[in-house]
Amino acid sequence: MAQATQNQIRANSSQRSLVIRNLVAWAGVVPFLVFVILFLFWPASSLITGSFQNQSGAFTLQNIIDLFTPSIMNAYMLSIQISIVTAIGGGIFGFMLAYAVIQGGLPRWVRTALTTFSGVASNFAGVPLAFAFIATLGHTGFLTALFADKLGIDIYNLGFNLYNFWGLALTYMYFQFPLMVLIMAPALDGLREEWREASENLGASSYQYWRYVALPILWPSLLGSTILLFGNAFGAYATAYALTRTLNVVTVLIGDQISGNVLFNPNLGYALAFGMIVIMAVSIGLYTWLQRRTARWLQ
Amino acid sequence: MAFLELTNIRKQFGQAVAVEDFNLKVDRGEFVSFLGPSGCGKTTTLRMIAGFEIPTVGRVAVDNVDITDKAPNQRNVGMVFQSYALFPNMTVAQNIGFGLRIRRESESAIKERVDEMLALIHLEQKGPSYPSQLSGGQQQRVALARALAIRPQVLLLDEPLSALDAKIRVSLRAEIRAIQRKLGITAIYVTHDQEEALSISDRIVVMSQGHMEQVGTPFEIYNFPQTAFVASFVGTLNTTTAEVVDSARGVLQIDGARLETAEKLDGRQKGDKVTIAIRPERFSFASEQKKANVVDCRIENITFLGSIVRIQVSIGSGKYYMDTFNNPFLELPKIGDKDQVTCSREAVLVLKS
Amino acid sequence: MAPTPNGKVAAVKKKINLWAWFWILLGALYFLVPLYGTFDFSLREKRGVLSLLAYQNVLADPRFRDSFTYSALMALATIVVGLLLIVPTAYWVHLRLPQVRPLIEFITLMPFVVPAIVLVFGLIRIYSGPPLALTNSDPLTNFLLMCGYVILSMPYTYRSVDTGLRAIDVRTLTEAAQSLGAGWFTILFRIIFPNIRAALLSGAFLTFAIVIGEFTLASLLGRPAFGPYLVYMGNNRAYEPAALAIISLALTWAAIGLIQLLSHGRPGQEQVGGVH
Repeated sequence: MAQATQNQIRANSSQRSLVIRNLVAWAGVVPFLVFVILFLFWPASSLITGSFQNQSGAFTLQNIIDLFTPSIMNAYMLSIQISIVTAIGGGIFGFMLAYAVIQGGLPRWVRTALTTFSGVASNFAGVPLAFAFIATLGHTGFLTALFADKLGIDIYNLGFNLYNFWGLALTYMYFQFPLMVLIMAPALDGLREEWREASENLGASSYQYWRYVALPILWPSLLGSTILLFGNAFGAYATAYALTRTLNVVTVLIGDQISGNVLFNPNLGYALAFGMIVIMAVSIGLYTWLQRRTARWLQ
Repeated sequence: MAFLELTNIRKQFGQAVAVEDFNLKVDRGEFVSFLGPSGCGKTTTLRMIAGFEIPTVGRVAVDNVDITDKAPNQRNVGMVFQSYALFPNMTVAQNIGFGLRIRRESESAIKERVDEMLALIHLEQKGPSYPSQLSGGQQQRVALARALAIRPQVLLLDEPLSALDAKIRVSLRAEIRAIQRKLGITAIYVTHDQEEALSISDRIVVMSQGHMEQVGTPFEIYNFPQTAFVASFVGTLNTTTAEVVDSARGVLQIDGARLETAEKLDGRQKGDKVTIAIRPERFSFASEQKKANVVDCRIENITFLGSIVRIQVSIGSGKYYMDTFNNPFLELPKIGDKDQVTCSREAVLVLKS
Repeated sequence: MAPTPNGKVAAVKKKINLWAWFWILLGALYFLVPLYGTFDFSLREKRGVLSLLAYQNVLADPRFRDSFTYSALMALATIVVGLLLIVPTAYWVHLRLPQVRPLIEFITLMPFVVPAIVLVFGLIRIYSGPPLALTNSDPLTNFLLMCGYVILSMPYTYRSVDTGLRAIDVRTLTEAAQSLGAGWFTILFRIIFPNIRAALLSGAFLTFAIVIGEFTLASLLGRPAFGPYLVYMGNNRAYEPAALAIISLALTWAAIGLIQLLSHGRPGQEQVGGVH
């Protein structure tokens, strides 16, 4: 009896020490959690709550309703369009490059060079990138001048304009396709030579191999990367801001709200930001889900 | 007439010769292993049969049809890969049915064949599973079923068991052999594991550095190795250099000890050096009556291996292994004991090189 | 008469090769032409001759020096604070709280969901009024900016640190150190940090590349950083921006080059992304 009680006590104290150990373990991540709450979650969630409040702090859906005014809808549409175009364009181009360098039987140094270039290019963005494209394809840019001098062609007369939709898309592509190369390279590495051999051995043609084996294996990463590229373009601000003031993508609209360049209604600004968070959350969520799916197959 | 014929095969990669002078005829339903260390050309030869490599010189024929230049997907040859190579995006059933789907067989025919194959490999319940949900041994059985589903003329197996655990390796190789016998299919099996080759094959091709060293039944390969390479690669073997004393009567001398061999020593002169080989299990302690091939020795080491006991003895300055069955009622000698060992005249093999 | 087998194989190989080279060439053009164009443009400030005048103007501009120094210091502070925050956390999660790993990974993904422009909006909303009015003083605004940068670079820093920790056996190393009498401080600074040095440096250089030219946060928090200076020059000059773009590129190149050098031959270390 006494023995049993003692055991009970010992069990209790060891359970208590386990709880303490767990608390200590959790304490190790507290600084990090506090930091991200202070500088990420609190600010972000304040925008979300702010978008459901009027200027005096009362609950309202007016800001969300106001998002559906034509000028704001146009900005969202423009952002979505440019993100889709550059995600698909950059995605296809980046995939071709990654495929060429990994499965195309090129020398090893080409691959090293391409990954290094891609690392640089995917980070060479924002204001300097806009400058580079202005210096190259602006009204007096290098290529513009080259076409005019050597071929007598004024590309701006032919309808090209760096400062419109397609110009911005071309500029965005500069950091989009290298990102695709960097994401797709490991996925393509995972495509094992034996699968091609096994499918040939079972009688499949090259087309059938792609149709039934390679593409089904690759499609989650292909789609996932394209979605990531979409988000990448959707959140871009500096490039668009530095290149053009006439194309009002959502990020530029938000920037104007913050710096008070437009009729200032902070709560409408919060709603704009809220809309962005929603779209980004959906795309990043899809991306993560698709990545997990590939990882399960390719272990 | 042989069913699978490889004639005068030679394969070069740039300057490097991977396979040379390869000639082999395999009968219908025969199980032949290519055995050798890595880089000996055995996998290259297998890949030439599958069509993934094309011989620089030579001819591959199946059932009297020359397939040397045929694309891999035009041949009817099933292959099992070392790394399974199951398609990760397809279920087990879809993997097994893939080759039939490519051949545009009807859905019902495919389903029937897949079920038949699943029963063959005892994985009836696993049809809807994905490969990543199976164990290594199960995956390799699926790969085998996939290769067999297309009713290939020849089944190729490229070190199919080397990625598996020792226990599964033994049980699966028995299963592979049983299935091959049941279907009567011609099979080529590549391995670097001599025990595997000996246990599974009708015939073995031992290869080294792109050459065929010896072709024969497991019995012949093990008991009568023709070259030093085969002797050393297959099983444990004592090899040493001996001096010819009397070539007509087959008398040799090692380290002062006299040994007789049953093999012919034609063309050898007294005083010539030859390489001889003796399997450890052919040695035994000399009994009273025995007179020939009795040699003085000293016990150096004793290793207990379970069913057998391996004893290392020294004869002169050379050291040799001797295997005896583990008999719990017999006393083992002690290290440092002096004793006498013997072997029959037939046990002393004279190697070609 | 059948065609020689080797001729056929060679032809197929060649076709693949040509096709691959075609895409690589196209990629190289896309990558290099704007760079060459920018470089060419940056040399044309003096009419009719090529000169380095634009570079001289930039380098002589005190605002260039000031803003660049400011951003470089900011990058340094971000790297130190970011690593001090993330390495112990990642280490701790590896060692003691593996079940929390998905949560931490989820959190480090959040900066992708909250783009820089949204983040700065939120920071301003919270920290421009009571109770935590950081934006009223310059040093505190600098601090706020740095915290924002730590958040922006967090996905990259965390990923490289995590990769580094996966490559070593954290638990065994820690237990070995503990059995030899080492305390937590010693373990972290003498054992863990040195063993994941390459990963730490990769994270550091990438952070540097992100922070040095960052525009969104710096501009909207009104700090005199390099990014806003670039835009200012873009509005007022023609050739100097091109020179500045080349300088920025050289810096990015140096940072990424160093990462590549450090992570040479190790897969999964290739770094992705940035802030646009």
